[in-house]
Amino acid sequence: MTLTATHLLALAPPILVCITAIVVMLAIAWRRHHTSIAIVTVVGLNLALLSLIGVWRMAPLAAPMLAIDGLAIFAAVLILVAALACATLTHAYLAQYSGPREEFYLLLLCATAGGLVLSASTHLATLFFGLELLSIPLYGMLAYVYGERRSLEAGVKYLVLSATATTFLLFGMAVLYAETGHLDVAGLAARLGDELGAWGLAGAALMMMGLAFKLSVVPFHMWTPDVYQGGPGPAATFLATASKVAVFVVLLRLVITAPAFQDGWLHNVLAVLAILTMLVGNLLALTQSNLKRLLGYSSIAHFGYLLTALVIGDGLSVEASAVYLVTYLLATLGAFGVVTLLSSPYVSGTQGGEDTAALHHYRGLFWRRPYLTAVLTITLLSLAGIPFTAGFIGKFYIIALGVESQRWGLVGAVIVGSAIGLFYYLRVMVTLFLAEAGMQRRDAPENWAIQAGGVVVLGAAVLVVVLGIYPAPMIDWMHHIEVLVGG
Amino acid sequence: MNIAFYLSGLVAVLATLGVVTNTNPVHALLYLIVSLISVALVFFALGAPFAGALEVIVYAGAIMVLFVFVVMMLNLGHEGAAQERLWLRPRVWLGPAVLSAVLLVTLIATLWSGDDGRMIAGQTLTAKAVGSLLFGPWLLIVELAAMLLLAALVTASHVGRVPGPTPLESGDTQPRQHTQPRKEGA
Repeated sequence: MTLTATHLLALAPPILVCITAIVVMLAIAWRRHHTSIAIVTVVGLNLALLSLIGVWRMAPLAAPMLAIDGLAIFAAVLILVAALACATLTHAYLAQYSGPREEFYLLLLCATAGGLVLSASTHLATLFFGLELLSIPLYGMLAYVYGERRSLEAGVKYLVLSATATTFLLFGMAVLYAETGHLDVAGLAARLGDELGAWGLAGAALMMMGLAFKLSVVPFHMWTPDVYQGGPGPAATFLATASKVAVFVVLLRLVITAPAFQDGWLHNVLAVLAILTMLVGNLLALTQSNLKRLLGYSSIAHFGYLLTALVIGDGLSVEASAVYLVTYLLATLGAFGVVTLLSSPYVSGTQGGEDTAALHHYRGLFWRRPYLTAVLTITLLSLAGIPFTAGFIGKFYIIALGVESQRWGLVGAVIVGSAIGLFYYLRVMVTLFLAEAGMQRRDAPENWAIQAGGVVVLGAAVLVVVLGIYPAPMIDWMHHIEVLVGG
Repeated sequence: MNIAFYLSGLVAVLATLGVVTNTNPVHALLYLIVSLISVALVFFALGAPFAGALEVIVYAGAIMVLFVFVVMMLNLGHEGAAQERLWLRPRVWLGPAVLSAVLLVTLIATLWSGDDGRMIAGQTLTAKAVGSLLFGPWLLIVELAAMLLLAALVTASHVGRVPGPTPLESGDTQPRQHTQPRKEGA
């Protein structure tokens, strides 16, 4: 199947993002100007977001190697929103950085295009290229302030481990290709049938392993806290939001379209991984004294909850995981956004050094930065799944799904995990409201509220509350996705 | 042709084992080149001469050139020469040489028996077929690969910048030592 004009129109979002990346590159070559590059980036991402309205009318449509369906559009919205937030946060974070600042936007745009392609891929070739296009710019983003040892360490660590995971993924693809002679997911599913042979099982398991690494599912989670702590704030935000959403959506798509990925043995392994991920992620988060590390472990645990929906893999699971992804994305954007705004080492007065993300830096934050603290509190409450925040709706869906399919082990793990989670989220909140104890070394710029970054985190917090109280529009949207996917 | 395929496959596996187990990077590279050439022969046997030629030109060729560049830039001098002589013991070069000899014998035998137009299965994939496939249905992948290379290039050029981000403008910390590449020899 060759590309036609209709396909090109339907592929407008990734194409627009790529064009923006090239415009940004040429603009950098012509003249370096931080703010205008940021504006070009944001305009490009917004155009891509707007083009989704037109694409929505065309869906579902099968372009060569890509599917333009409800799931892809849903993922595209989440990824573009996350990328927009990251671009705005970057502008605040790098404002005083003395090295070249503009390349970050170029890398961000490339990674966004990769995420868009990955989440729409129905072919192993687009899956691989999307994943690499998502990962390779991330190495650069994580190591962006390479003068800092931590940042460089984060970049190199992610590079080496991610390359290892990619070899597993590629080997799995090669085994599946040798077994079936197909690279498109539909063909693979047809040839593999419902029962996997030894080779099919090996291939599927290897591919799962590669994707599980990117989602930092528990046996493959070692890199997460170090990378989140060391990388610059916006890069860690992108890694925790857009990157994980894209990889999860492609995993969801694989499970829906190829029942082979739900084969009995693999199914049990996934269930065990989900339980392990929830428990280990939450338990390890308990002892953390660094907010970025803590959020890293919390994101591990959240993907354990999401895997539950994947394991059950029937009926409501697309809707449940979509709702959960929205709530997770908003809360994580808000929490990481606040940390990024507060922790930038490149505000006036100081140059370089680590991000200030240690918990004691946040003691008594409420008495100095009431609004930012309110945002952080709301997003942490949402991550913990307290009612009247969006996180509660997501957790509710997951637990309802588990109860309906009578997977009591999984439901139990979700509940235990949430209980442990509540403890460390509350611990952070208590710290925020403790009375002042000495001077703060670094702080958010005074005018944070009029800066775009402040608007982003406020918007995320408002959405968390609104969707927590009135989730009907979100749920309606998820119904449409399910209709379009036909799963 | 079958024998050629399996022999070069075996050589590829053995040479790659040599890459993995060797502790000296230069010796590992030697094995790597043999491995790449044998993979090229596998491609020829499979009826994909274009891929085979690319393998030889891009991988084996480019890596050879890089290898030579590294040796030239290190420019070790007399001590280096002595070290080289010490390294050039038979057990270092014997392995790659034997593997390459196997490849050469396979190649000559294949040519001798007039097998050169055939392959073990399927049709010959010519450069034209590969090109029309790449810029037809796989156009999207080509464009994605282009973006991927752009991202990798930007990452490499940013992280590889010398000197690092020096806090020159604020001036409240010690300026970093610039690490200029030293000029050695003539």
